[in-house]
Amino acid sequence: MRWKVVGQVRTLVRSRDLVFVWTGRTIKARYQQSALGWLWAVVHPAATAALFTVVFTRFVPVNTGSTPYLAFSFAAVVPWTFLAVSLADMSASLVANMGLITKVYFPREVLPIAAMFSRLMDFGLAFVVLGVLLVLYDLPPSLPALLYLPVVVGIQMSLILGIGIACAAANVFYRDTEPLLRLVVQLWFYASPVIYSMTAVPTSIRGAYFMNPMAGIVESYRDILLKGVAPGPYLWLSAGAGVVSLCAGYLVFKRLESRFADVV
Amino acid sequence: MMHPAVRFTDVSKQYLLGVTRTSLPDAVTQWARRLTRHSTRRASRSFHWALKEVTFDLPFGESLALIGPNGAGKSTLLKLLAKVTEPTAGRIEVHGRVSALIELGAGFHPDLTGRENVYLNGAILGVPRRQIERRFDSIVAFAELDGFIDTPLKRYSSGMAVRLGFAVASCMDPEILLVDEVLAVGDASFQRKCIDRIRELQRQGTTLIFVSHNTSLVKAVCNTAILLSDGSVAASGTVPVVIDRYNEMLEARGSALLEGARAGATHNAGVEIVQVDVLTSSGEPADGRVSSNSAVAIRVSYKAYSRIGRAEGLVRVYRSDGTSCCVMRMVDDGAPLCIEEGRGAFSVTLDPVQLAGGTYHAVAWILDDTGVNGLARGSSDWFRVAGMVQGRDADDSVFEPVRRWTSCQLSAAGPRP
Repeated sequence: MRWKVVGQVRTLVRSRDLVFVWTGRTIKARYQQSALGWLWAVVHPAATAALFTVVFTRFVPVNTGSTPYLAFSFAAVVPWTFLAVSLADMSASLVANMGLITKVYFPREVLPIAAMFSRLMDFGLAFVVLGVLLVLYDLPPSLPALLYLPVVVGIQMSLILGIGIACAAANVFYRDTEPLLRLVVQLWFYASPVIYSMTAVPTSIRGAYFMNPMAGIVESYRDILLKGVAPGPYLWLSAGAGVVSLCAGYLVFKRLESRFADVV
Repeated sequence: MMHPAVRFTDVSKQYLLGVTRTSLPDAVTQWARRLTRHSTRRASRSFHWALKEVTFDLPFGESLALIGPNGAGKSTLLKLLAKVTEPTAGRIEVHGRVSALIELGAGFHPDLTGRENVYLNGAILGVPRRQIERRFDSIVAFAELDGFIDTPLKRYSSGMAVRLGFAVASCMDPEILLVDEVLAVGDASFQRKCIDRIRELQRQGTTLIFVSHNTSLVKAVCNTAILLSDGSVAASGTVPVVIDRYNEMLEARGSALLEGARAGATHNAGVEIVQVDVLTSSGEPADGRVSSNSAVAIRVSYKAYSRIGRAEGLVRVYRSDGTSCCVMRMVDDGAPLCIEEGRGAFSVTLDPVQLAGGTYHAVAWILDDTGVNGLARGSSDWFRVAGMVQGRDADDSVFEPVRRWTSCQLSAAGPRP
């Protein structure tokens, strides 16, 4: 069984052209006929962060230390949006292309993977705006800390890939995986330190709190971008979760793959 | 002994009928129900065997036709070969790169240009990007889309899109090529192009599996065939033999339906055709005993319940694929027919029969004296006509004329350049 996976990964690598081309197709098709186009990639997190700022500074003040709330929340909302939107796209990716799956053979995981990569572009754009915002707030991050950024992004991507691929496969058989995932992500949002600071979590349960891999990831983004320091030890937990997610998700997908075309 | 390109061993494919579990709450309640009832009785799930123990070998370089009525399992077999799905039982061995012309334009997106769609489609089919780049110009030329290639696909006509899809798919170097009914779309010149391209691939030694309802196309392209019916292999062998079996099957299905309808009608008309026989000059059944230059008699026996008087007789000869070979009316040839009460017969002698090698049957009509209203109909059994040359029937032609050849030299050729 293990050797079979090696061959499957090799097939996937051989199909990297297809991942690239399919990502391009998804992006072009998405923004071809829309007015805002790629600008939407920035508007979504920006509007969300702006709303949070109004609510959590005026109505329900949240303690964020010396950091202005807008920067505090935007730094977390941008990566969270990447997770939420990617997972939504990925879980729908196979069902949306059932016509293709029943006719041609190609490694099916290309579809959810390309779905995530197409959102990576949005993530990059929003990140640029985040960078501009930080400069405006006079919070330019320090260079040594920035070196950790690709690491955090990589861990987040492997987490998203594992969950997204597995949900994509499950959604073929059980169509309510998609709305269920949406619900889980919504609840997960509140369990992660996006709108509030980690300091608000009582120390007694903080250990359990960081079992949530996104908690570690979000805090790491804040450490790097707002505080200019290396991420805390919670990133190790997230890294472990990312690796497990990727391997388990891929294995689950490959086990179910042979039956996709039989369930229309 | 080298292994074949494709080997199917007792391959079966099962599909579950009925509503499949598509929601988690349903799945949970089903589990709960099964647990609480402690019953081993499965929920009423019936299944359909799309393929039943299909076994065949396909050597390298051969071209196999897959024919059969709709629902026989042809598409399922192709899907198994294309690795889109897996068999429920049995073993499939495939040696070589499989390319499928099953869905032309797979992945085509209307908002992308033709050029972008070529790269997309090629990537889906597994063609390396560099190969697409190298062949790009010949793809556009083959599809006759110069000048249109940078327009969004949604502006293309359906014919243009199909041409583009086929051009991309055929620029690969497949070792095993699967072709489904895609060639049915497109005009005659496009179909010719497709056939030429397929022939070129055959010359290069590509193994081919071809699914089509168009029997003349199948005869032109393939050398062996398999007839699938209700998921099982009903016949296999050379193309003409299998096609004849297929047509017999269709005719049997068709006439079984017609028989019931006709029986009532002819009785009301007062006369019915009892039998149509096709005989040799010595009065024996013609099947297997005649060739193109033999004499054949078609005898129509009828029974009249009352005196009808002047009537017309009409005999048509059909080939097994439904082609009408000839129409003969007694009135055209100045032969009168007068029907009295009781039994009678009329016959037409074809000397020589001049039919090309193949399987035929005769259909006879009795019409009233206006020649418009049919009173009775009957058809004969199939009869085989042997061709003039032993074993050379794989042709489309119907007529084998009585002929004489001459040749002569008209003038001396000029000095050689």
